[in-house]
Amino acid sequence: MSLRGTFVVLACVFLILGGAAASSETPRVRVELLSEVAAFTPGQTFWVALRQQIAPGWHTYWMNPGDSGEPPRIEWALPSGFTAGEIAWPYPDRIPQGPAMTYGYSREVVLPLPVTPPSALDPGTRVTLRGRASWLVCEKTCIPEEAPIALTLSVAARAPAPDPRGAPLIAAARRNVPTPSPWPSSFVATSEDITLTVEAPHLTADRLTDVWFYPARWGAIDLIAPQRVRVDPAGIRLDVARGPLRDAVGAPIEGVLVVAERLDGDVARHAFSLTAPPRPAGAHGDPTVASLLRAVALALAGGLVLNLMPCVLPVLSVKALGLVQHSSRPARLRAHGLAYAAGVLASFAIVAGALIALRGAGAQVGWGFQLQSPAFVTLLAWLFFAVALGFSGVIVVGGRFAGTGQTLATRSGYGGSFAAGALATVAATPCTAPFMGAAVGFAVIQPWPIALVVFEALGLGLALPYLVLTFVPAWSRLLPKPGPWMTRLQQLLAFPLYASTAWLVWVVSQQAGPPGVGAALAGLVLIACASWVHRALGGVRALWRHAATWTVAALLPLSIVGIVALGPLAAGPGSPAPEVAADGRLGWEPFNLERLAALRASGKPVFVNFTAAWCVTCLVNERVALRSPAVADVFARKGVVALKADWTNRDPVISRVLGSLGRSGVPLYVLYPPGAGIGSAPTVLPQILTEGAVIDALDKI
Amino acid sequence: MSTLSLTRRTFLAGSTLTGLAAVTGRGLLVPPAWGAAVAKVGEAAPAFSANTTTGKGVSLADQRGTIVVLEWTNHDCPYVRKHYESGNMQALQKEITAQGVVWLTLISSSPGTQGYVTPKQADELTSTRKANPTAVLLDPTGAVGRAYGATNTPHMYVIDKAGLLVYAGAIDDRPTTRRSDVQGAHNYVRAALDDISAGRPVQTPVTRAYGCTVKYA
Repeated sequence: MSLRGTFVVLACVFLILGGAAASSETPRVRVELLSEVAAFTPGQTFWVALRQQIAPGWHTYWMNPGDSGEPPRIEWALPSGFTAGEIAWPYPDRIPQGPAMTYGYSREVVLPLPVTPPSALDPGTRVTLRGRASWLVCEKTCIPEEAPIALTLSVAARAPAPDPRGAPLIAAARRNVPTPSPWPSSFVATSEDITLTVEAPHLTADRLTDVWFYPARWGAIDLIAPQRVRVDPAGIRLDVARGPLRDAVGAPIEGVLVVAERLDGDVARHAFSLTAPPRPAGAHGDPTVASLLRAVALALAGGLVLNLMPCVLPVLSVKALGLVQHSSRPARLRAHGLAYAAGVLASFAIVAGALIALRGAGAQVGWGFQLQSPAFVTLLAWLFFAVALGFSGVIVVGGRFAGTGQTLATRSGYGGSFAAGALATVAATPCTAPFMGAAVGFAVIQPWPIALVVFEALGLGLALPYLVLTFVPAWSRLLPKPGPWMTRLQQLLAFPLYASTAWLVWVVSQQAGPPGVGAALAGLVLIACASWVHRALGGVRALWRHAATWTVAALLPLSIVGIVALGPLAAGPGSPAPEVAADGRLGWEPFNLERLAALRASGKPVFVNFTAAWCVTCLVNERVALRSPAVADVFARKGVVALKADWTNRDPVISRVLGSLGRSGVPLYVLYPPGAGIGSAPTVLPQILTEGAVIDALDKI
Repeated sequence: MSTLSLTRRTFLAGSTLTGLAAVTGRGLLVPPAWGAAVAKVGEAAPAFSANTTTGKGVSLADQRGTIVVLEWTNHDCPYVRKHYESGNMQALQKEITAQGVVWLTLISSSPGTQGYVTPKQADELTSTRKANPTAVLLDPTGAVGRAYGATNTPHMYVIDKAGLLVYAGAIDDRPTTRRSDVQGAHNYVRAALDDISAGRPVQTPVTRAYGCTVKYA
């Protein structure tokens, strides 16, 4: 029978004999001191651990025991020159006891701590580490227990010798010790509640099965109260009632966030230590009236400044020229002003609605999100080009096909003014004015009514100058008298639009490469051609003229099809840049099938890391195992090429490879041995990596 | 049996929490097994009435105008034994009741659990341990304990003459079971009473109580 089995039986016997009497001296916990090394190197820190095997139904406590209980302690009596560090506490379980919540361990726990020996020790000497461990063990009743602990180790001449029993137990325990949180965190306190925010932007609720925050100290939060968790694109937000120590919210709250993530047929728990500073209510996340007013004011200012941007100014100026001609009829002018403002506000509502809907669906989008699509950018370039041609006088003003935008900007009806407002909004999308960033940044993380208010304030700012001109005739009278200067000015204003067109084509070149640029430029040629056809057929019957023009224009969608078919759309914004080897750590090459095949054909061993930014387990594995210098050394020694397959954007090629390896998700770690044929089976590593597991797998090839 | 009346506020707080627990969903949340602690330092102490060992009803409302100390106890708990076997608790009771303070010792262990006593056993404990409370109140349903959010034994509360809860937490700053730790410990209850008699706010109004969990039903 195993040691543990014997112990369980003995514990049961003791329980039956002793009952729940508090006076029983019977141990409920078997303790022993473990070491990761059987022989240590002088001066080199190594890990030991207090192992507690706890009788069924009983528990011991975490560093913060909660509303009751006491953490285990060790009083050391070490040989001279030896020092022992603090216990590195593995994350605990929740053990509710009536109205009290306690944090602790059941069945078994290994509590690791570092020991540093002196540097002057003779190899071969045997050293005994001694101490006295005391702890409180509770079931329904609580019993303080204590026992002497001792461990004899020898001094190694060179490399430390691992202890076959202690090393794996301590490695497993250290895997459960929280790692520093990779995400910033903060909290806001109201009179009743605390909201803890962890800015982990890539996480999604469907992968997380449990989230719990264990404070490092008693008092700031109510431990027994429910923790209401929301996972949204901004990160994790956790609401919990405040604890009895009212002034605890003036200082940062420290603690451990444990996140359970659903993997392929498995659940992995990860613990992160974090220190959340307090922040004033409403600074970010929970809006107050003051913060909303501030965002609205910023949005209004940003909208006003948008009027001066090179993409908007020409459109607005030409519209303003129209005022010169209408200045004699104030009532009509006001109606035009209102129609224009309505056009701006309506199109801003559409932009805001799309943005809110996309964010609701989990997409990471902000202002100008449309510009992430090369197809949209191309359409915008064509629109600017057509309007610019109109301004230059290439397209006859008043013709039905005159570049839709230009017609809209100069048409005289109220519909024309409404359309000019819409055009101003479309023209404004590639521009970000000062003040806008803060307002939009605030809006996108708010509930939709607040987001809409901020966006409409932005629109109002954009519409305001024209609206004021139409409502205050005195001001429009300041405009110069109509004359030939108007044509010159309109022609001059075409150039900011040509410049905007050139800039947008450059954006397409970044997004979709040479095929995208080719398609965009082909479209510009077609627009120029359509304008010429329209003008050249000036004497022909209107029907024929329009038919010919639209025939040329109909070729435009073919250009878009060209972009979509040829452009590598999967590599849009949002996918992280390839990681480059730096500061001696493992350098990752981006994964693709051709590279993998070429490497394997040349007989090189390959390690593929299938990962994603929203996968917590992937992140922890990278921090705990893949980034360690020891692992990088083995990669270098074995000549293993490291490929990183980033599945953040659900790349279809990577999905197929995952499928061929029998997986539907990440993380997945695959090692292709050297020299093996293309068809031979690769080694699949566990989903939860340790440094040791990676090194073992690499050592076997 | 203890008779008990909780305030309306307490009841409403409890039902709000139940409501929250019902809407959690999605498996991300754990519904609470209990409501949060309802007694709050700085607010009116929850009203209660409970029976003494002689069957006489004692109500907090009757104590208006007097400082009241509440002590939750469980005579078999090692942390309680530390304070009784060292004589620390009895000395404090004697010193404080001599100043006209009402000291109520409460037992919230449910029948069959550690610390549960009959009225007769409670009186025997008082005489054998030479304890000096004003009265021992029996709360086997745990209703008074839950209204105060008592989680530990010992768990100490101080209520001022106006009926405000001014201290809740540990008896002192040494969360151990060692009798020798009583010497030199900072006693929070005595400190709170000193603050009250000096006419200043209680300097340390809340501490983490230490001890055994209260054995509620």
